[in-house]
Amino acid sequence: MRRAAWSLLLLIAIAAAAAPWLAPNPPNQRFDNLLYAPPTPVHLFSDGLRAPFINPWRVVNRLERRFDADTFVHVSLRWFTGGTLVTGEPDAGAPLLLLGADGYGRDIFSRLLFGARATLAVSLVSALLATILGACVGGFAGYTGGWLDGVLSRVSEFVLVLPAIYVALVLRAVLPLVLPPSTVFVLLIGIFTLLGWPIVARGVRAIVLVEREREYALAAHAAGASDSRVLWRHLLPASAGFLQTQASLLVPAFMLGEATLSYVGLGFPNTIPTWGTMLQDASNVALLGDAPWSLAPAVAIFVVVLGVNLLAQSHGRTPVQLEP
Amino acid sequence: MARFLARRLLFSLILIVITSSAALLIARLAPGDMTSQLGPFASQVEVESTRTRFNLDRSPISQWGLWIARATRLDFGESFLYNRPVAPLVGRAAANTALLGVVSLLTATLVGLSLGVFTGARSGALPMFVRSVSLVCVSLPPLVTSLLFVFCAARTGWLPAGGMVSSTASNPSWSAWMIDVLWHLPLPVLALSLPMAATFERLQSQSMADAVHQPFVLAAVARGVPASRVLLRHAWPTSLRPICGVYGLAIGALLSGSFIVEFVTAWPGLGRLTFEALRARDVYLVAACAATGAAFLALGTMTGDLLLAAADPRVRQESVG
Amino acid sequence: MGTATAPGDLVGTGPFVLREYQPGQRLVFDRNQKYWRKAENGDALPYLDRLVLELASDQNAELLRLQSGALDLTHSELRSDDYIPVRRAEEEGKLTMVELGVAPDADAFWFCLKPEKKARDPRFAFVSKREFRQAISHAVDREAFAQTVFLGEAVPVWGPITPSNRLWFSPNLPRYPFDVAASRKLLAGIGLEDRNGNGVVEDKAGTEARFTVITQQGIGYYERGTTVLREQAAAVGIALDIVPLEFSAMVARLLACDYDAIYMRPVTTDLDPAVNLDFWFSSGSAHLWNMNQEKPATEWEQRIDTLMGEQASVLDFQRRQQIFTEVQNVFAENVPVLYFASPRLYYAHSRRMRGVVPSILRPIVLWNADSFSISSAR
Repeated sequence: MRRAAWSLLLLIAIAAAAAPWLAPNPPNQRFDNLLYAPPTPVHLFSDGLRAPFINPWRVVNRLERRFDADTFVHVSLRWFTGGTLVTGEPDAGAPLLLLGADGYGRDIFSRLLFGARATLAVSLVSALLATILGACVGGFAGYTGGWLDGVLSRVSEFVLVLPAIYVALVLRAVLPLVLPPSTVFVLLIGIFTLLGWPIVARGVRAIVLVEREREYALAAHAAGASDSRVLWRHLLPASAGFLQTQASLLVPAFMLGEATLSYVGLGFPNTIPTWGTMLQDASNVALLGDAPWSLAPAVAIFVVVLGVNLLAQSHGRTPVQLEP
Repeated sequence: MARFLARRLLFSLILIVITSSAALLIARLAPGDMTSQLGPFASQVEVESTRTRFNLDRSPISQWGLWIARATRLDFGESFLYNRPVAPLVGRAAANTALLGVVSLLTATLVGLSLGVFTGARSGALPMFVRSVSLVCVSLPPLVTSLLFVFCAARTGWLPAGGMVSSTASNPSWSAWMIDVLWHLPLPVLALSLPMAATFERLQSQSMADAVHQPFVLAAVARGVPASRVLLRHAWPTSLRPICGVYGLAIGALLSGSFIVEFVTAWPGLGRLTFEALRARDVYLVAACAATGAAFLALGTMTGDLLLAAADPRVRQESVG
Repeated sequence: MGTATAPGDLVGTGPFVLREYQPGQRLVFDRNQKYWRKAENGDALPYLDRLVLELASDQNAELLRLQSGALDLTHSELRSDDYIPVRRAEEEGKLTMVELGVAPDADAFWFCLKPEKKARDPRFAFVSKREFRQAISHAVDREAFAQTVFLGEAVPVWGPITPSNRLWFSPNLPRYPFDVAASRKLLAGIGLEDRNGNGVVEDKAGTEARFTVITQQGIGYYERGTTVLREQAAAVGIALDIVPLEFSAMVARLLACDYDAIYMRPVTTDLDPAVNLDFWFSSGSAHLWNMNQEKPATEWEQRIDTLMGEQASVLDFQRRQQIFTEVQNVFAENVPVLYFASPRLYYAHSRRMRGVVPSILRPIVLWNADSFSISSAR
């Protein structure tokens, strides 16, 4: 199971890294005649076995989203051309849409691959930073006890309850209207780290509270170890399991949080796809039955989370979902 | 014990005051105010009079001072959006959310813990299956579960696809209203409790597996105590400790999860009210919602700490400072 | 008497009486037994015993409830995204769909032209010239706009009065057909050329024609509209950065003239232009591109002020039409606001409702609520 989890996560990481090569179309190329187009099936047979080809979609009715495959035109898939692994003929109106097109006529599959980069980068880095910060604060609070512990606990509770969207709104007002993507990246990571550390801190604090009374901690004390040494070398590693699972929990929470923030106007600009913003396009529930492929980002998020949970499980830790 | 409770209550009160004050302050700093709701083409007179009525023409400090003074008299201001006092609005919404939350929590606890005991103590095909389903559910965020359930309800028509009461209810008696609510309850409860039940199941399973391998369990079996009794009277209480430790956080997660579920399933609770208030910059309503949210969270963490203290005497000695 | 008054104490002469108000959730109305109006055949109106209005915050949820039969009517028209499930429900016999015609308003795009705020902005020198705005109008392919943004269910428009406003629409106004070359020529004429080859035109001093366009977050039409607009403007060298903002933030910036350009649809409340004077008068609070002016900032706005003053006071309808056509001419020449396409509106209600006559203006259906009835026949 561990190997399965690792290979799954590795696959996703590679897919994200190799997105420009794996994606059949540029993520922002719009095909005006293919809004909401379904996936293009790849055929192998036409009077016998042939090289894989597709039949381009011709729009019959835009409002009703009806498309007909032009069976007279066979567009062979081109391999290793133009810097991509495989593609159709996007410039001739016959793109390879493995997961169909969204409401702007953009290829969902390509956006999924490119979206993995932004989404995973923000979520993973924020989860890491939040875990580190939370572990430090929580460990310190749990170990020291006394009024300092009280203060830190109250601060973390306060941050947990603060309406995050308000903070985001204020930031939106204070910052210049158009932000370069790198600034947005740093900003999002900052916000998520600040929102995520209290959850980690509480758990670490609870663990350290208990662990510091255990025999090995007392023994270390007796042997003359300084407070910080006891904390770092002995108590915090006891919370390693918790930290692992908590870090893995933060990842999907931040993925969805990124979508919420872009609703407030504090996310990446429209030109940069992320799984969160793609999910917003799929929120029209009535159409899920007709266009199930629009749920692809939800499936992607689910797969990543499942992989991380499997990993946690295989290490003997229980995956828990404590923060949506 | 009493001192512990008193201290926690005091801190909870301080937390509530600070949270709502911060919400009030941030609302002032955020761009636009409630008068934007009057539309971009409202007359100056109307805008000014609204500002005066809600003390928005004063400095933030003075507005905060006035609000605190009124709050001590249990007058939490008025809502611009609904044109009535804030307290009954928030009270009703909080009650709806509490209903949803409590039922979800109970469901998740019952289902999760019992399944966890089952899978933790045994091995075989069925426990394996339950564990896998649990893993899948833990990986599904409440947003996705609520979307899926609403979609299924809309397609099959087995359950109402949202809301708390039907629009066709006419002059219902109390029992009829209760039944109507019960009919609408399963959808949001399922969406909210499913990931949580899976969480509890996983936790309980792990800790049960740990507990079952403890020496005292072996001793009990060796003494001839029947297996079920060993499980329930000896192993299970010990296995509850990690769950109690997490219970407080679970209640907190319930609050934020309910926000999303309420939104998708149109359940008229605190989450939806807060969202509407935020959108309209209805400052006093937002402050009251933030305060209620803080109260829920404080209650949750206090419950969690109490449970943890009850389950593990070692923690009791070092009460939170 | 405010909205906090107990329902039993409210006074009115409408067909329904408020029985219950749950704030943020619903209003329950009962039949007014003493309603003054009668049907043509003498029957007592209204037919309905009870009307319940639910306050929905999410249009997706509202549509689902309509489809499942929990609701009989929706409060606003369908979005083009909703067409398919509603069409399917109609074929299954659950809903009735009605075509309302072309909307009386269209999505608008304008720059802030307030000299007091923008005079020191180097871009104002060319934005304030009408040729600049005319060039943008030339750059947009309105047919493609209608196809992409409204899935084909829209008609191209060039002014604030749409073809559905039959009394006041004038088809012979100056239009700016899709012509990229003409657009570029106009821009070059006011000194905007791409001198450094980066795809964006600049003036002689090197100031780029790059603008931030704010729009309301969360509305599919706006998102698609601004995407198309950005692409087509880029083709003539004007760079637009689209920033979706939350409604209150957008309104705050609009009122303070703290923006470069805005894209949104101001809703028309009445078809007669004399009722919309706050838009036409330069001193008006809805004079989008330069609100609440003390004195008209430009000569053509002065002209419109004079004409509209006459239009609103003259009684002869023909004369009023003539004057208003002249006003629209001035507006079309100077293009302070650009319009692209006006959507066709659709509405759906449950099968069992009778007497529903949806209209283009708001309130779409409740204007004749006293004539509603329910039938069990199909």
